[in-house]
Amino acid sequence: MSSESQVLVRQIDDLDISAVVAIDERIGGAYRPEVWERRISYHLRRDPETALAAEHEGEVVGFMLGDVRSGEFGLEEPTGWVEVVGVDPRSRGLGVGRKLAEEMFERFRARGAASVRTLVENDREELVQFFGSVGFEPAKLTALVRSI
Amino acid sequence: MSSRTEQLPSKFHGAVIKWREAYLPDFPLLMETWEKFFPTEPKFELCAFRQLGMCTTIECGEHTGKPKYQKASEMAPETAHHLYGAIRAQASTEFGSIQQHRLTLARAQNEEEQFWILRMMAEELRHGYQMLHLLAGDDWSNVTSESTEQMIEGILSMNTGSHVLSAFNIDFDSFVDSVVFCGLIDRVGKYQLSMQKVSAYQPMAESMPRMLQEEAFHLAAGVVPMRRWVTRAATGDVTITVPALQKTINKWLQRGLEMFGDERGGASNVKMGLKPLKNYEAQQQYRDEVGKLVRDLNLRYLRARVPSLSIGEAESTLERILAGEVIEGIERDDLLRLPHVDFFRRRGTSAFTMIGRDGERFDDLNAYAQHLAQNLPEAYLAGRDFSEYLDLLGQVVRGETTAEAAAAKSPALRRVGGACPCSKAVRWVVDDPTPASPVLVGA
Repeated sequence: MSSESQVLVRQIDDLDISAVVAIDERIGGAYRPEVWERRISYHLRRDPETALAAEHEGEVVGFMLGDVRSGEFGLEEPTGWVEVVGVDPRSRGLGVGRKLAEEMFERFRARGAASVRTLVENDREELVQFFGSVGFEPAKLTALVRSI
Repeated sequence: MSSRTEQLPSKFHGAVIKWREAYLPDFPLLMETWEKFFPTEPKFELCAFRQLGMCTTIECGEHTGKPKYQKASEMAPETAHHLYGAIRAQASTEFGSIQQHRLTLARAQNEEEQFWILRMMAEELRHGYQMLHLLAGDDWSNVTSESTEQMIEGILSMNTGSHVLSAFNIDFDSFVDSVVFCGLIDRVGKYQLSMQKVSAYQPMAESMPRMLQEEAFHLAAGVVPMRRWVTRAATGDVTITVPALQKTINKWLQRGLEMFGDERGGASNVKMGLKPLKNYEAQQQYRDEVGKLVRDLNLRYLRARVPSLSIGEAESTLERILAGEVIEGIERDDLLRLPHVDFFRRRGTSAFTMIGRDGERFDDLNAYAQHLAQNLPEAYLAGRDFSEYLDLLGQVVRGETTAEAAAAKSPALRRVGGACPCSKAVRWVVDDPTPASPVLVGA
């Protein structure tokens, strides 16, 4: 059995908060429990079925938080938005991100979405590559920002 | 997958609205301030949701593969009887938890946490409504002589003390109870709802997905404040300390274990296709989950006490402290722990045995009472639930009754007359000592 097939994707829950905090810390170096307590609480309230955790050998090794929305940015049709993805650096190469994405797309489809969107910073090469590998292409929408 | 929404017939819908006015008076405030606390989130709706497109064949038990039951009348009488009991008990817990939370809602320290609990209460009301919808939507005359009106009135007339399960008959003493209840007792509810999602009774299975979605947040409404509290306690806050949290966990966890029913039971529900796990199996999984919660809280505490620890260091330091070392002034007793599975039990195989928090055995009733007093919240000790427990324990220890009889004899408030939701006609009564029937339900 391949490592990828041993990755189990399921709905995230309240007891995954610590694992998400740890993955975020391993990726970015900052310990931010308050951020994830608030954010996961939000997703559990809004639609827990589009908040996913990936397990390998009984450990949470990745997560993906998403949402189906419509009427934003002129996009009237239901659209799946991938808001954040994180894979434990120690578990890269297991296909964790791909498994999370496939499950998320399935759940988006079940909610009537025909397309999936996300925003990625241009200099996050690894993320750009990951989304490319699961079928994302540059979109016509351009992200704009200014200080106020 | 999509769902359809349905409402109870207007007279029953109106009865639930009346009940809400009596027991959830802050509901209008929740609606008025929804956008402030839950912006972009769909507004609460009092209705029954039925998931579409679910499995239509029985998923477990001796009838696996056969079509699911659409009506109670299609089932064997024993199966319908079990199912009716489960729906009634489930409804009781949903309404019961609101009656408990309302006592302490105003005592929250933090507005956000208060509105999380208030939203949770509204969603529990919807869950109760969902169960009433199952009762009103079918013919239960093969298992009860009560009319639909009587069934619904009976459930809406229950109060703290008269609910089906003991965890819902214990008053809350503080907002700590409210939060720990969400983290521990609602977790039992998650197991129940997950198991009922594969129920052989199609309307029950279709009722579960939305309830499970909402329950996921109810658990977070317990776990996240607890994580915040241990963090504050680690930095010297005296308002909610680790010992206070430990005592509240000791109070509720054992009641949660007992909600799974007697450890030896549950096989008939599995056989009938109503649930996929026996009582002991589900209880064990639940306790493991709470063990993970306690470990997470300890790690959160440790990293707040010693911010210089990296994630790997924190995990190894926690292991060393749990093994008995004192590190950075932190010792085993500064951390939370799971009480022993047999501690303070009044149902199941260890009911009315004198087992201490760490599994130590007591032979002397007074010494055990002292031990309980040291390990349970002070306000709880003064209440009737605890004094009745001690009284029954004394009878068991003196050989005046058996543990099994004491378990079945635990006093409870019962409705003995009256009809309206605000009925005062409830009295303390003691049931005849018959063996407790195992039933698993939760908020």
